[in-house]
Amino acid sequence: MIELQNIRKVFNEGLSSEYIALHDLTLAIAAHQVTVLKGPSGSGKTTLLSILGCMARPTAGRIVLAGREITSLPERFLTDIRRQTFGFIFQHYNLLKGISVIENVMLPAYPQGEPFSLLKKQAADLLKLFNLTHKAAAKVEWLSGGEAQRTAIARALVNQPEVIIADEPTAHLDTRLSREFMDIMRDFKAQGKTILIASHDPIVHESEVVDRVVQMRDGRIIDAGVI
Amino acid sequence: MIKSIEKQRNIIDFTLSSLWRRKGKNLALLVVYTLVVFSLGSVMFFTQALKNEAAIILRGAPEIIVQKLVAGRHELIPMASAQTIRAIRGVEAVKDRLWGYYYDPIGRANYTLMVPEGMDLKENEIIVGAGISRVRQVFRGNALLLRTYDGRPISLFIKGILSPESELLSSDLILISATGFRRLFGVSGDDATDLTVTVLNKKEISTIAAKIVDKLPDARAITRDEILRTYDAVFDWRAGIMIAILAGAVLAFLIFAWDKAAGLSGEERREIGILKAIGWETADILQMKFWEGTIVSLSSFFLGVILAYFHIFYASATLFEPVLKGWSILYPEFRLTPFISGYQIAILFFFTVIPYTVATIIPAWRAATIDPDVIMRT
Repeated sequence: MIELQNIRKVFNEGLSSEYIALHDLTLAIAAHQVTVLKGPSGSGKTTLLSILGCMARPTAGRIVLAGREITSLPERFLTDIRRQTFGFIFQHYNLLKGISVIENVMLPAYPQGEPFSLLKKQAADLLKLFNLTHKAAAKVEWLSGGEAQRTAIARALVNQPEVIIADEPTAHLDTRLSREFMDIMRDFKAQGKTILIASHDPIVHESEVVDRVVQMRDGRIIDAGVI
Repeated sequence: MIKSIEKQRNIIDFTLSSLWRRKGKNLALLVVYTLVVFSLGSVMFFTQALKNEAAIILRGAPEIIVQKLVAGRHELIPMASAQTIRAIRGVEAVKDRLWGYYYDPIGRANYTLMVPEGMDLKENEIIVGAGISRVRQVFRGNALLLRTYDGRPISLFIKGILSPESELLSSDLILISATGFRRLFGVSGDDATDLTVTVLNKKEISTIAAKIVDKLPDARAITRDEILRTYDAVFDWRAGIMIAILAGAVLAFLIFAWDKAAGLSGEERREIGILKAIGWETADILQMKFWEGTIVSLSSFFLGVILAYFHIFYASATLFEPVLKGWSILYPEFRLTPFISGYQIAILFFFTVIPYTVATIIPAWRAATIDPDVIMRT
């Protein structure tokens, strides 16, 4: 579904602080599977996720999404693809403080131009799915860690994306909540979604729901795992 | 089309929600912004309204006024001078006028006394302006007690109160009969305060004014246009002083607005990053910031303009009165006839709303063009 061909990412290119985050990576991610990027801090997992999710452009190389070369698309089109194809769950959840849980869930869908009432219903359905209906009107800063995470997952799903991208999703969760998160991923996989997770948490990469573990170190793939 | 409208509605909805989240900062901005619009608007409305009042009055003013001067000061003019002026070709009519000022220690105000043309008033009858009626608490049918030039009391009966259509000059006005006027001020029957001249051909006004001065070297001839120009200059000058005083406030506001609007906080930058990461385009963020700027600046603008309108036309410009009025004849309180020009509103809009809106968009554009992946690392 997603193919990376000779992807290279350099930060501060040409400066004394130049840093090569990814070295000529080639990787194919299969659809409807759970793929985990595993590696220590600084191994390039987050950078690779950003490039896979059309958040950042590679310095060199090509990205092919569902047979379409997307590397050279203008920002507008890339944003459109990002919004419709990918749902993101960030390490720190990145919920907007000061607004309600339901508003946070609706946020990615605002630029779609769907009627407000329809968006609200979609968001309410997602909150119901994650047992958060009673928190819909609450401000996100009042939520517990588990509730905040489920809100972030609901937000990632509001545009019904095909691919879920999660960056260190269990980094701030205890064992019970981490296992709960993997149970939710199992449900997504059963629904046919493609899931990409960057993590060095054993609860994640040792989970039976994971189809493939890609090991990284120093911006290189050291084990592409079994497809 | 419908999708794009819905999109704008969604973005506006989020913008309102965002504004409410930072209500402390935004309310402070709204208050300061409103005050600036209010101050500038008040000066503009007041100046324009005064000029407008003056224009209303001068519409009925004589084309030329002839006054005698002694040592550069205005003196009573002998009525015989009217004959000399009538002899000038092109003069249609010459009329004598009686008017003057009276300082009333009870009302602590100067009144303007005038003998009206074609009004049938008995020797002890007067018609007073609304301002005098307010200050002295006298109404139709009451008597107003004044003192003659030699200190004797004189009781004048109020036949009526003047309508407030143009209070600028009628507020402190007393209309009195010629005999009453001469008795009050001790003016002899051979003299008048000044003479008014009407001219057959309006294009000849300045030529005839020159001829009058030629024939009466101790007199001056003032044309209507000159009076209008003087009013404009005086009011513009006063407005200029006021604006100069306000310039400091405006500058402070600009710095404040720039700081609040332009300097995006770390939290705001983070939010822009999140919005981009979850699928908002740079254009969507700019639209949000545009709506934010527009909502704050338009609310302040309308609030400021409405407050200025009430301040000037209903509260008699209480805050600016000492600076902007300052004419001794205006001591009695008066209310201006409401008058607003589209041009003024446009200028006020241009100098307050546009700069602020621009100030909010530029930094947002700078923040919105960063790669969304930055948020992955925070």
